[in-house]
Amino acid sequence: MPELSRPLPHEDRLVLLPKNPGQYFIFWQFSEGRADSFHAASFAPEIELRLYYADDRSPAAVHKAQWQAGSAYLPVPERGGNCEAVLYALRGGAWEKLLESNQAAAPAAAGLAEERAYASLEFHKKVLS
Amino acid sequence: MSSRGSMLFVLHAHLPYVNHPEDAAFLEENWFFEAVVETYVPIISVLERLAAEGIRPGLAVSISPTLGAMLENEALEKKLGLYVEARLELLEKELERARDIPPLLKTVKLYQKLYEEAAALLHKYSGDLITPLKSLQHAGQIEIITTSATHAVLPLLTRPEAVRAQLAAAAEDYQDRFNRKPSGFWLPECAYEPRLNSFLKLSGFNYTFTESHSLDGAAQTANGVHAPYRTSNGLRLFARDSASSSEVWSSKTGYPGDPAYREFYRDLGYDGDYEYMRPYLGVDGIRRPLGLKYHRITGHEADLSAKQYYDPDEALLRVEAHATDFLARRMKQTEDFYASRSARPLIVSCYDAELFGHWWFEGPAFLEAVIRKIRVERLPLQLVTPSEYLNSCQEPQEISPGISSWAEKGYFDPWVNETNDFIYPAVYAATDKMIETANRFRNQDLSSVNARALNQAARETLLSQSSDWAFLLYIDSHADYAKRRLEGHAAGAIKLLGEVIAGRVDEKDLAALEKHNSLFPRLDFRVFASVSKF
Repeated sequence: MPELSRPLPHEDRLVLLPKNPGQYFIFWQFSEGRADSFHAASFAPEIELRLYYADDRSPAAVHKAQWQAGSAYLPVPERGGNCEAVLYALRGGAWEKLLESNQAAAPAAAGLAEERAYASLEFHKKVLS
Repeated sequence: MSSRGSMLFVLHAHLPYVNHPEDAAFLEENWFFEAVVETYVPIISVLERLAAEGIRPGLAVSISPTLGAMLENEALEKKLGLYVEARLELLEKELERARDIPPLLKTVKLYQKLYEEAAALLHKYSGDLITPLKSLQHAGQIEIITTSATHAVLPLLTRPEAVRAQLAAAAEDYQDRFNRKPSGFWLPECAYEPRLNSFLKLSGFNYTFTESHSLDGAAQTANGVHAPYRTSNGLRLFARDSASSSEVWSSKTGYPGDPAYREFYRDLGYDGDYEYMRPYLGVDGIRRPLGLKYHRITGHEADLSAKQYYDPDEALLRVEAHATDFLARRMKQTEDFYASRSARPLIVSCYDAELFGHWWFEGPAFLEAVIRKIRVERLPLQLVTPSEYLNSCQEPQEISPGISSWAEKGYFDPWVNETNDFIYPAVYAATDKMIETANRFRNQDLSSVNARALNQAARETLLSQSSDWAFLLYIDSHADYAKRRLEGHAAGAIKLLGEVIAGRVDEKDLAALEKHNSLFPRLDFRVFASVSKF
């Protein structure tokens, strides 16, 4: 994956984006203090990304990730719909809530039975090549 | 014969904002020059010709604010003039080279005519192609709509302030450019989610367009994609008809793939003798397409070297045949619908404008032939603009459409994947900082320089959100440029905002950014405030 060549400000951020009916994309960033805590091993390197259904706040799924990964693709929970994510980190044997995301609605799988002629990638490739 | 159905054509014209006044020539500016010569001028000519003959085109044209800004940019207009001049100079030489090759000579003359017409139309309107579009709309020949300020895929902007800013800037831009409030909104990439209904309504838009499968999850619809709908807050929606789209879009099964049509990939820039071509290549001297393509598709399996010379007359015959076929299919569609439901269907056909002319060279002629046949042959199809149709149709059924886009796979895959997802931290860093700073300063008395810096930061933030950077990275075309642009806009916004907060705005840098990214001249940074004045 390419990386941006300019450093971004150190800020806390957890963003959940819809990709398709099967996947969310999630990325996280930490403020300098939080990042230092990970570097200093105050927090364990493995974090949890917990998905909740936004309508009733019921748990939907839990995914593990390394804090330094910065992003992940998460499967959309079975019930689909609107979710939000919470990032937890482990310190001294207890999970601490560090970041909360926005709500993101996953598309419903709308049975793409036919080969659709979308504003085709093929065309754009040609236009912009 | 009375109408058995209506056709609504939408041409969505968009290019990313590319303006490099510091360079005499800049490679990516060629996207704009090529699109002007091959698409915008031919389409405007078609519309003007039809109107002059009393044949009202009656279609909708979406002009993105970034494209509108480029069409009105005097520095780009000058460069465009030089581009056309250089091509005409080359074509003079090509006429001489093709003198003894009759099939080539015919096509060289065709290109000469194309560039001469571009030069004439640009001269007629002093380089500003917004003027004829505005006149056509004023005369009721077409309806012009807009899209988000920098063509952001709106469902990927999770902050409501960012969506509002994209819509508010677009609405203001439209009003400044076309002297009226916009009614229609083209969702970039047809990317829809229900959250947008209220933003669109609150920004003054009356209708928009969605992809056909947005209706799949909605309640039972009486007429499928063949009628407009309304959301609970009164926004009108048109759903795209995939049948009429695929005939035009697909290069394999659609009309543009006909063996008689012009081949896109074989270009004089690669074919010509290097020393002969050198003055017309970029400053780096690298071979690249020049837009002069003399061969026909010949066959999909044919190697580029095996392509035969293009024959404009033969291609025009195919255009006529394809226009006839397209309309026969639409008539069948309307007849079938009418027979089964005793209602007149609406067929909504949406295309990227640049398909017509730039990629599908014969596209403008096809469009003209279709419109001409409907009117002249008095076919039982009515060409309508969106507002005309909404003004005359019954109250649309209320539905709740689903999340969708017209992209590959139908959702957001091209803008969120392993090739481009690294951009989002930068986009969100700029966006969050912009919102936070707008909130902080929205009620403060600001010095002129601070206000300028905040407004420019808002421009940079909007530009960082453009869908084009992610897409170019995805297709690995001009990827370095896309990355530079994205980084530059996000970093520029963050730097300016930091300088305003620190009370130390670098006026030289600010002036350079203002010159470079000079779109949205009246943009007020407060469009990003959480409780916006808009």
